[in-house]
Amino acid sequence: MTTDTLARLVDDEPQPQERAHLEGCEACADELSALRDQTEALSMLPEIMPPMGDWEVLEARLRSDGLVRDPAPLSKLGLARTPAWMPAAAAVVLFLGGGAAGAGLVSRGPADATRVGATVEEAAAAVRDAEQRYVRAVSQYRSILAAEGTDETDVDPISRYAALEHLVSVSQAAVRQAPGDVFLNGFLASALAERDAAARMVSLTDDNWF
Amino acid sequence: MASANPFPSNHRDGRRHRSLCMSETPRHDTERELIRFAAEGDARAIRTLYDRYAPRVYAVVRRIAADDDLAQDYAQEAWIRAIRALPTFRGDARFSTWLHRIAVNAALQSLRKAETRTRREGPAPEDVPVAPAHADSLLRKRLERALDGLPEGMRQVLILHDVEGYTHDEIGDVLGVTSGTSKSQLFKARAKMREMLASLSGSVKEHGAEAWST
Repeated sequence: MTTDTLARLVDDEPQPQERAHLEGCEACADELSALRDQTEALSMLPEIMPPMGDWEVLEARLRSDGLVRDPAPLSKLGLARTPAWMPAAAAVVLFLGGGAAGAGLVSRGPADATRVGATVEEAAAAVRDAEQRYVRAVSQYRSILAAEGTDETDVDPISRYAALEHLVSVSQAAVRQAPGDVFLNGFLASALAERDAAARMVSLTDDNWF
Repeated sequence: MASANPFPSNHRDGRRHRSLCMSETPRHDTERELIRFAAEGDARAIRTLYDRYAPRVYAVVRRIAADDDLAQDYAQEAWIRAIRALPTFRGDARFSTWLHRIAVNAALQSLRKAETRTRREGPAPEDVPVAPAHADSLLRKRLERALDGLPEGMRQVLILHDVEGYTHDEIGDVLGVTSGTSKSQLFKARAKMREMLASLSGSVKEHGAEAWST
């Protein structure tokens, strides 16, 4: 039998005369068996990992083609839409321990931040947790201000700085777990910028005694 | 990502696309969300899809291209096309199947363009590329090497049928040939592959040699 015929018999049932030949010809039977094994082996070929740096090249192309957009981390959290006084207001709550959410956050110092989980998921969860606490604190302080009729602009830059410093610590720990994570890096960059702005405000306050 | 392989190897009995072999898991809901976000350009969603499917896309493209450098270009082209087309993905087929088809088409079209260019510019130097050396078995290396050395038409049909599990009708659609031509090419490819594996093994017997075995 020709090799082409044997290759066909890998998929198709042999005709009666072909079956008869195979039963009597050990060489052809062996060759058919080898072709079947070869085909089976091909079907088991594994996936192949792309070369190192493939994603980075692709990402650059996607960006240049305008196919990727990064959500601004703070706007994704809704923080960018909060009134300017709110982060500072929340910081006051945090600093004074005036609410349960704030107290919880304050009690977790930078040392805790470095103990963010061992996995990327845990690190990201820690950041989300910090974000949620921050937002809750903002809302809580807004309620307090509304109840007491306090001037919203009269907030404590030092407290705001402290709260942002905590966010930076948690974000840094998360980025250490996932250095390539675009969202976490973006969030860290935003938190750093906010913290530095808060630091400049602190330096301008009258009670800047240090 | 260390999650379950979305493209488990097919077995000949099943005769299904590898890309169709994904088991029904709750992951599908997550994947729908991922695809929706990726279609909107969300960088994290796109990255997650890439992490999940890049090895499968790269494998089929690499085998069609038979060249590492070309494979990377073709795979990138496939991803660009897929991300661009994501808003048109309606979910009629599995995402893996849809993506796989885009990858195959992208590789084939890129190959044709490259050939047209080569014809204009003259032949490239003789060089039979070798598959990347992972910690593969000798058998796997021989298979990849023999695949690379097959004539292009045979290689494409053999990869699509025996490696990827396409039917002859599907191969006809993709390659623009009849299913009869696909069958004929497949049988020739298997026979040629058998010869090449035998010569690669260096221990050829006249008949029935286990040339591809270790």
